[in-house]
Amino acid sequence: MDSANTDALFLRPTDIKAALVAMDGGAVPVAGGTWVMRASLRGDSNDQAFVSLSQIDALHEVAEGEDFLRIGALVTHDHLADFARNLPELGALTQAAGMSANPAIRRTATIGGNICARGFTAADLVPALLALNATVEVHSSSRQDTTPIAEYLQARTQRRAAGLLTTISVPRKRGHSAHARALLRKAGEYPIANISAFIDMDANNTIKTVRIAVGAVEAMPKRWHSLEKALLGQPFSADAADMARDLLDDFTPRDSVDAPDWYRLRVLPGLVRQAFASITDQSREDA
Amino acid sequence: MAVTFTLNGQQRRYSGDPRTSLMDALRCDFRLTGTKDVCGEGFCGACLVHIDGVPKVSCLLPIGAVEGADVTTIEGVGDLGTLNPVQQAFEDFDVVQCGMCFPGMVMTLSHFLQDNPRPSRDEVKSALVGNICRCTGYERIIDAVMSLHNSAEGRK
Ligand code: FES
Ligand code: FES
Repeated sequence: MDSANTDALFLRPTDIKAALVAMDGGAVPVAGGTWVMRASLRGDSNDQAFVSLSQIDALHEVAEGEDFLRIGALVTHDHLADFARNLPELGALTQAAGMSANPAIRRTATIGGNICARGFTAADLVPALLALNATVEVHSSSRQDTTPIAEYLQARTQRRAAGLLTTISVPRKRGHSAHARALLRKAGEYPIANISAFIDMDANNTIKTVRIAVGAVEAMPKRWHSLEKALLGQPFSADAADMARDLLDDFTPRDSVDAPDWYRLRVLPGLVRQAFASITDQSREDA
Repeated sequence: MAVTFTLNGQQRRYSGDPRTSLMDALRCDFRLTGTKDVCGEGFCGACLVHIDGVPKVSCLLPIGAVEGADVTTIEGVGDLGTLNPVQQAFEDFDVVQCGMCFPGMVMTLSHFLQDNPRPSRDEVKSALVGNICRCTGYERIIDAVMSLHNSAEGRK
């Protein structure tokens, strides 16, 4: 293959603008590569040019502000787990980043890739970001938008989202959060269901803010609004798993080779229990 | 533009399609077949190599992404006269069966032991989460790793 041809197949821009130009020309953005490189195994086309984002320094940065954690789209799971370890209110994010896939994948796979991998149903970071009320910054050639992550995910599913996701902002609010996942082995694979929960309580341990997000059960992670409603104003000691068991109708679970639809639902109350137990441990550590 | 990088200490060039996985290029173009092609999905760890000293799965890494990087494969961790300590422990404990998983295990454990020279059994198991072995049942692999730990303690 002559080098003029290969140049056009793998572009390595050093700024966002040049990456957008390459994407407008039909190149596929590549972050860690762990999803794109499996395109042929999924029966997807793998013939487009690649635009590698790894030379864009700004996309690798994590910045800790007083109110927000700003995470560049190319920050790896490993880096994120390490960084967020010192921010207890972001427990769901630290746990999701530190438990997903396996150590070598965590060193390569990025937060931006986790959000943008179209058709990837078992992301761990996405439910955590939903529970933590994250927003995403998206650059296109003409504008720069900040969007709640739930809206961005909807737009991507309907193929309305254009541009390049560059930064994820996670609010640092008072409260605790945790992530729990069900696997068929003990570790090292994708979850068949996962849950992230964020809870803030008042001085009497009454729940005053609650956000729960569920991933891997349906094609897209989503908030469990009926359970949130049931828990709001309840004492934290209320049996959340029991409530969850009565509210499984919120989901239309996926049936696939790794797990049947009914099984994905069956494990959800147990995951709620695990996430709440982790939040209990965190609050004890604070006390 | 060819991809240039360091491979087992030597400057190398790759002029083929830069979207090719590093694993395929290593095996088919550089004839370094110690990096194994097993799942091709990032799950089994048989294709692990060190990129700038850190273990990564080469089946999911386009070779264009290693421009300027330092790549070490299993062929580069020791030489025939002096095996690396993990390889030596595997041989001493007669751990290897079919051998498909072992290059990846050595790449994972060599890096892990640099940062954790005295790990517990559970820490070794956690480190090996991404290295699947279909033959051995793992326990002897861990015995071999713990022997390195013990000898380190013995030298204290
Ligand atoms: S062949 Fe790369 S992880 Fe299995
Ligand atoms: S020895 Fe055969 S796969 Fe591990």
